[in-house]
Amino acid sequence: MKLSKISERIGKHFEKGKPLHAFHALFDAIDTFLLTPKNVTRLGSHVRDAVDMKRIMITVMIALLPALLFGMWNVGYQHFTAIGETATGLRCFGYGFLKWLPLVIVTYVSGLTVEIIFAQKRGHEVAEGFFVTGFIIPMIMPPDVPLWIVAVATAFSVLFAKEVFGGTGYNFLNPAIVARAFVFFAYPSVISGDAVWISNAPDAVSGATPLALAMNGSADQLPSAMEMFIGTIPGCFGETSKLAILVGAAILLFTQVASWKVMLSVIAGGWITGALMHIGGLCPATGWQHLLMGGFLFGAVFMATDPVTAAHTSAGKFIYGILVGVLAIVIRVVNKGYPEGMMLAILLMNIFAPLIDYCVVRLTIRRRKILISRKKIQL
Amino acid sequence: MKYKIRQGLDLRMAGTAQREVTALPMPGLCHVRPTDFRWLKPKLLVQPGDAVAVGTPLFADKADERVLVVAPATGTVKEVVRGEKRAIESITIAVNDAAPAVQTVAFDDADTPEKIRNTMLLYGLWPCLRQRPYAIIPSPDSQPKAIFIPCFDSAPLAPDYNLLLASQADDFAHGISILQQLVGADVPLHLCLRDGADNSIFETMQGVNFHYFSGPHPSGTVGPQIHRIAPLDKGETVWYLSPMDVARIGRLFDSHRLGFDKTFALTGPAARKPHYYSTFYGADVSTALHDNLPEGDIRQISGNVLTGKQITDFPTLGFYDYQITLLQEYPERELLGWLLPGFRKWSFSHTFTAWMTQRKPFWFNTSMHGGARNFVMTDVYDKVFPFEAILPLELLKACITHDIEKMEELGIYEVDSEDFALCEVVCPSKTECQQIILEGLKEIKGED
Repeated sequence: MKLSKISERIGKHFEKGKPLHAFHALFDAIDTFLLTPKNVTRLGSHVRDAVDMKRIMITVMIALLPALLFGMWNVGYQHFTAIGETATGLRCFGYGFLKWLPLVIVTYVSGLTVEIIFAQKRGHEVAEGFFVTGFIIPMIMPPDVPLWIVAVATAFSVLFAKEVFGGTGYNFLNPAIVARAFVFFAYPSVISGDAVWISNAPDAVSGATPLALAMNGSADQLPSAMEMFIGTIPGCFGETSKLAILVGAAILLFTQVASWKVMLSVIAGGWITGALMHIGGLCPATGWQHLLMGGFLFGAVFMATDPVTAAHTSAGKFIYGILVGVLAIVIRVVNKGYPEGMMLAILLMNIFAPLIDYCVVRLTIRRRKILISRKKIQL
Repeated sequence: MKYKIRQGLDLRMAGTAQREVTALPMPGLCHVRPTDFRWLKPKLLVQPGDAVAVGTPLFADKADERVLVVAPATGTVKEVVRGEKRAIESITIAVNDAAPAVQTVAFDDADTPEKIRNTMLLYGLWPCLRQRPYAIIPSPDSQPKAIFIPCFDSAPLAPDYNLLLASQADDFAHGISILQQLVGADVPLHLCLRDGADNSIFETMQGVNFHYFSGPHPSGTVGPQIHRIAPLDKGETVWYLSPMDVARIGRLFDSHRLGFDKTFALTGPAARKPHYYSTFYGADVSTALHDNLPEGDIRQISGNVLTGKQITDFPTLGFYDYQITLLQEYPERELLGWLLPGFRKWSFSHTFTAWMTQRKPFWFNTSMHGGARNFVMTDVYDKVFPFEAILPLELLKACITHDIEKMEELGIYEVDSEDFALCEVVCPSKTECQQIILEGLKEIKGED
């Protein structure tokens, strides 16, 4: 291959002791982005699975695409509806795309700068984790959020939620959620609780989100279940269309990239809690309505399943998932000031995941002792 | 008893050996390598120029000098090849091609455990035994909790033991009774058979326990078998050996014939005509390799692709190996490999379109398919690791952090590096799991 020859020739200048060594992390990142890595097996097994972190991450991004593409159209559609114009599908999509593009560029530039500096300092390759994080962040921000806030939030989350702990694989908080939480707590006026996110809406039509409606007891004003399922409701890019999210979930589950254990138990936990709250008269919305509202499903499919910050043990994944689901609905119903509980529920459970794992490991050790002694008696 | 292994994986690899055996001509050279025996520190007993016959001790284990490794052929010691820090890499013997590979030796009939043990030690058959934990040669003074004989190999392109044992059924039976006398009636012998396969050679044995295993690899490796039948606690050991070595032991005691002859399968996607060859341990197998090597850069592996060792300077099989695998070295870098559909890329996950053709044999090569990363995917190991109540990821972390107490609690005594081979294969972070476990075991052994 000609390209591999070129890469070899250029690569020489980035080796240790050569003038461009200071930029080797950047070169490695571009090199392995363009060409499959050149390393061969040395220790252990002589053959390896073709899957690597790049493939895993691109699979997650492909799974995010349906929700993103729908979101682009929907942001445009909501905008033109709010200002009372009718627009073609393409025009809606174009409007949304132009809203999304600066967000994603700012996110990647800000986050990757931090990533590359750390990779360079540590002598690592640039880990691929940020490609997904940087893809998710614009999808969970309000479409009109000021770009400098996005840049600051992204840099903050990559630096303090990930790199200070050692990079992808060592972080215990999901960086995308940290970015959103950062905006929520640092700039509450931008991402405020119950005001609806319609791009450039005149004040007169800014209304309440379905979540806020349900929480304030006006469940009869809720959009229809079908609207919430298809996603033709106001909201940020990623989370409105439950249908598109479910397509993404199918991709993640089929490729075995995300854990079905987490996904299933989050949804089960949320549904059961929602149903119980409804029966107990605490909340007018029923269990399945809760699943269709807000960012619950997006969080369950794409964020709670982050393998690094979820519980690592099999049994732990179920416990973690159920508690995420339960907490999300509890926060939603109990704290009327901020109805979107998914973000906080996942952040909280990220912190508790190591504790869950610790308990599961101790129990497994005990079970092993019992198994061994039982076998001894048999013999 | 029947056992079904659920977690595991069969790599569908091209290059299964045809069931025909070519006898290799007497080789000019024979290489005996101390590195075939894990952690053994050799004490050299011969010098270049010494005449040796089958059964002449070449080196002893420094830890216990009764444990001998003997010459597998008759001839003259040509060279002692030393590597870094003067470690012995190979004792090379110029083979006298008139002398047969199996020779008659004279010793008094062994009828007590003591005499059996000493005869095995003297004629270099003691190293046929290995113990768990650690997969090392057991101390002659130790007594195992059980002896395991895995009677089939489930590794990719593994040889068929029925063919390797052809016409040795009597020797095998005698070997079993010798082992029973060696350890006494209290120690059970476990024969682990493949459920539904032709087990006629093994099933006629008396006084042993039969266990039938089904399911994908590693159902035929000793680790999961011990785990199902007699899990190891701290301080316990079990011995294991291959049925071919059982037959070798039986032949020595039955007809006083000593030999290190072995039939092996030459396999692999890069082999031109994969089939079986017969030769003896240590023999230079260049002829067999030469017949099979195509053009290009081919890796030669003694053993299977999961746990085998790369053949570099000495073209010969390891002491415990009955297979050579030829594998294409990684040819060239691809453009945007992580983005393409990947019709010809094998993966345990379904992230490449090749899952549609997963049933066809695949052409593997030695590419790592990615750079090393921290642990990210936390549940892939569980799908290929058939040990109940042992958490592979946690055990690896304990090894990496040198936490000996935790390693013990998590069950490191039950596993060996080979049990983590499949974890290593499917790991998207390209973690060297086998090496990590080996380092962990070394650390534990140092502590004892």
